[in-house]
Amino acid sequence: MPTSEQVLAALKTVQDPDLGKDVVSAGFVKNLFVDGATVRFDLVAVSPDGKDKRALVPACEQVVRGLDGVASVQIAYRSEVRAPKAPRAIMPDVEHVVAVASGKGGVGKSTVAANLALGLHLEGKRVGLLDADIYGPSMPTMFATRARPEPVGKDRILPVEAQGLKLMSIGFLVDPDQPMIWRGPMVHGALSQFLEQVVWGELDVVVVDMPPGTGDAQLTLGQKAPLSGAVIVTTPQEVALVDARKGLKMFEQVKVPVLGIVENMSYFVCDGCDKQHDLFGRGGARRAATELGVPFLGEIPLQSGVPQSGDEGQPIVVRDPESPAGRAFRELARTVARTLAFQGKSATDSLSMSWQG
Amino acid sequence: MRADRDLHPLGLGQDGPGTLVIDWSDGHRCSLDVRALRLACPCAECVDEWTGEQRLREDAVPDNVRPVRIDPVGQYALTVAWTDGHTTGIYTFERLAEMCACEDDQSGGAA
Repeated sequence: MPTSEQVLAALKTVQDPDLGKDVVSAGFVKNLFVDGATVRFDLVAVSPDGKDKRALVPACEQVVRGLDGVASVQIAYRSEVRAPKAPRAIMPDVEHVVAVASGKGGVGKSTVAANLALGLHLEGKRVGLLDADIYGPSMPTMFATRARPEPVGKDRILPVEAQGLKLMSIGFLVDPDQPMIWRGPMVHGALSQFLEQVVWGELDVVVVDMPPGTGDAQLTLGQKAPLSGAVIVTTPQEVALVDARKGLKMFEQVKVPVLGIVENMSYFVCDGCDKQHDLFGRGGARRAATELGVPFLGEIPLQSGVPQSGDEGQPIVVRDPESPAGRAFRELARTVARTLAFQGKSATDSLSMSWQG
Repeated sequence: MRADRDLHPLGLGQDGPGTLVIDWSDGHRCSLDVRALRLACPCAECVDEWTGEQRLREDAVPDNVRPVRIDPVGQYALTVAWTDGHTTGIYTFERLAEMCACEDDQSGGAA
């Protein structure tokens, strides 16, 4: 009597002319059952248009019958209409994409993004960090690497590995001292290309360091990247909060859930006396979060060593995880990881269809 | 049909050659005539960005215009590639929900 492996091997020689694949690889063969000299299976022809593939049945029967010890072959044919699901073109094997954004520049967004990514890595996640700040990329400095991304095939590139993260920045591709002078449409094109051509592989989270503001680049990412959520970084001053609200509204418009607001440079920890000084008036972000109905994700203290550690290629979470800022960043990473765990993948993945007729 | 903030399509389907069916997260099922959808394209080529004036002429769209593909845009909209070669329209979920004329929802309007 034949084994099911032998039957499958025989069926693999039957090609579906429409798919250019054999019936086994195409997933047509189901419920294979070998009972003595009798072989039974279902042939389920899956196609986008319900095309009749009954012609495959005699071909399958013939090859199975040709096996030693087969006396009878019973094939139950049916067809299923199912549009082939197009794999997501961008970051197909990335579970969650989280944007770190701010309404205005200078609030420490890149520092938060880098430390959040490293904090998630410390939580055991497989993490990528995409520096989407095409005007002023900072990740090559923050991770002290000038590595060049390896090309894959004709037009794709591998991220650079640094401190346990997969890292990609426009800064790896151009002269770091060269200013990026890009018009809107160029920004859209460059970012789209960047999103499509980096081979991230299988990751739990990709953290995206967004450029500041609410312009072309943000819109492109909102449209092209399968964002699971956004973290808005602000400082306590009212001017920063006004812009944080704008950032929040932008994400609302493109239906990206805001995971919450982080207050950076919340207070200053004096290294002589450990006293907390509220330099900019603390707590504004917490009030804004309450007012806007989004979670407040915590306060990151201003601590000497945070900016330097970034400049020297060792963000504070790695250099001094037990410092007040290090602890605050790790807590932020835990909160974000928890929130993501409760969140499904991008809800719109299934909304693709090819029109028939 | 009411367009509340979290309303989004769960699935897309087709009812004959000229009707798009959208299943919404609130349980509604809406049918949209695809030519009407093409004529309602909100892109800058079809509607003047500053004045809001309609630039697409109805007689410029073939009667048998059909989608070729429909794809999501981020998490807020759909984009349609049409048989007349047009591809730039982004239809937000809100707008699609407003276009839906369900019989059981005539009182709702744009409330």
